[in-house]
Amino acid sequence: MIKLAIYGKGGIGKSTCTANLAAAFAMRGKKVIQIGCDPKADSTINLLSGTPVTPVMDWMRDHDDEPDSLAQISQTGFGGVLCIETGGPTPGLGCAGRGIITTFSLLKELRLFETYQPDVVLYDVLGDVVCGGFAAPIREGYAEQVLIVTSGEKMALYAANNIHNAVKNFEDRSYAKVRGIIMNRRNVPDEEAKVRAFADANGLPVAADIPRSDDISRYEDMGKTVIEGDPDCETAKRFFALADLLIAEDSERNDV
Amino acid sequence: MKHAARIIPCYAADSSGACSALYELGGMTVVHDASGCNSTYATFDEPRWWDTQSMTYISALTELDAILGNDEKLIADAADAAADQKPRFIAVCGSPMPMMIGVDFDAVAYEIEQRTGIRTFALHTNGMHSYTEGAAEAFRCIAEEYVRASDTKKKNGVNLLGAAPLDFGNLNTVQSIRAWLAENGFETVSCFAMGDTLETIAHAAEASVNLVLSQSGLAAADYLYEAFGIPYVCGVPYGSAFSAVLADALRTAAENGTHAYPCTQRGGSGKTVTVIGEAVSAGSIAAQLNLTGYQANVICPLPHAETLLADGESDAFAEGDLARVLLEMRPDAVIADPLYRFILPPGTQHIGLPHSAFSGRCYDKIIPDLTGRRFDGWLREAE
Repeated sequence: MIKLAIYGKGGIGKSTCTANLAAAFAMRGKKVIQIGCDPKADSTINLLSGTPVTPVMDWMRDHDDEPDSLAQISQTGFGGVLCIETGGPTPGLGCAGRGIITTFSLLKELRLFETYQPDVVLYDVLGDVVCGGFAAPIREGYAEQVLIVTSGEKMALYAANNIHNAVKNFEDRSYAKVRGIIMNRRNVPDEEAKVRAFADANGLPVAADIPRSDDISRYEDMGKTVIEGDPDCETAKRFFALADLLIAEDSERNDV
Repeated sequence: MKHAARIIPCYAADSSGACSALYELGGMTVVHDASGCNSTYATFDEPRWWDTQSMTYISALTELDAILGNDEKLIADAADAAADQKPRFIAVCGSPMPMMIGVDFDAVAYEIEQRTGIRTFALHTNGMHSYTEGAAEAFRCIAEEYVRASDTKKKNGVNLLGAAPLDFGNLNTVQSIRAWLAENGFETVSCFAMGDTLETIAHAAEASVNLVLSQSGLAAADYLYEAFGIPYVCGVPYGSAFSAVLADALRTAAENGTHAYPCTQRGGSGKTVTVIGEAVSAGSIAAQLNLTGYQANVICPLPHAETLLADGESDAFAEGDLARVLLEMRPDAVIADPLYRFILPPGTQHIGLPHSAFSGRCYDKIIPDLTGRRFDGWLREAE
């Protein structure tokens, strides 16, 4: 099974990359779950034609109880991707990190993986690894690999470095390891050189190079990923290439 | 407010259950907590605290450690204490504050084990669940870690599962149950976990049948069935009539290899009695009463008791729900901890039976040993 967590600076395109990657895996015949781990609960919206799934925290708030079935907190989107959003507390109150842990415990109780038996699980995580809750997706039993999304912008690279260091801090625990970088271009000067310099300095490969493209926002306006909107466009091809790479690596691991 | 208790107390917490289950096994149990959990456990939930030594500690979590996520202090302190005390194993348990900050106890246990070379496991308590859940996880963990496969099979060998003072506050009871087994031709192979060591428990696979004495023993019983094919029987030998039924059920299960739940037997007629408490003990009392001229049923306010209750019996646990259920049932008498008397419908006879997990040490001097015919005498006197 491929179990990936996607981290990166806020607004850098994590949800866009995750949803496109999920759609690409699905088009390759894989059974995919995408779990959005962000109080904004907008990770999966472009897999669902713009109609959001009820986030787990919202369900709990509305019902003052835990859901007792996966159907109450999930929705099937493009390509059969099972979409789940943790959601979060009332903005400005409570604890969003704790919300993620609660959601994960609940999904375990509801036997999500045993029931759905996915080939791929993608965790789209809010920003940096700021506290225990936001490290939950990389704990043992959840994601095994981390992809960090960054552009060549200084603050995006700064955040990428923080995330890489945070994951390294957990080397003594059997947590996920950083698999590499998704370069999500913003067309800043010397972008590729800057991202590759960061990647090389940290011994990380650039696993995918996503061009700046209006296709992404055009299809997002329609509630779609580019994989759904135009699977032959260059951007879609890059996501397919990343999915193929990860599938091939997983097959190799399984063969070993 | 949902689930608020205004009059009655709540049951002991999962961390107390875990500590209690492991108390006599030579391990070091560390509750990651500021200190409230350990003082509650030591003061109210653990009658052995005063005369039996055990390595049960708290981590003394501070506000700053919690905010900063300083797991290293817990790991280093546990490793230091282990170097000094040389425990057989280390168990790390959670409490409410670590739950709120999302401490990864599996990872903490992994790091302690790497550092000390001593088998370390996490028990996923958070102080918010019932003692039965904490004890159940601890007993199952001990079974998974220490019971070894054996070529020897003792035809009349029995393991006692789920023995802890939270349910057997009269510490003589478990000894009496062992004696009752012997009188009926059985041999106690091991007891999880009063009066036995890890060495004895390692031989549990030699038993032909397990006697589940409480809800806390059921998870270990399931594991011992999955791993070694040992069937289990649920019940406590309370009362001469039910004890005979239970002994027969043990013989049949040992022979057939199938589980039995004699504590769910009902069907009597006469004075109506409701027993409130832990499902196996309360169910055994109800079964005994149904055999001797009463019509008894059970309310079990503890979670995960479904398989241990008879059809239609209540698992209400919130004070308001309990009071409502009792009002609807209107039994002639209720057997329950003395602190329940305050929510009984007017005119209902209350027969007090102290339960350590509910009233702590309030009544510890008068907790009876009800094994075998002792129950018959106790009931005559109590009525």
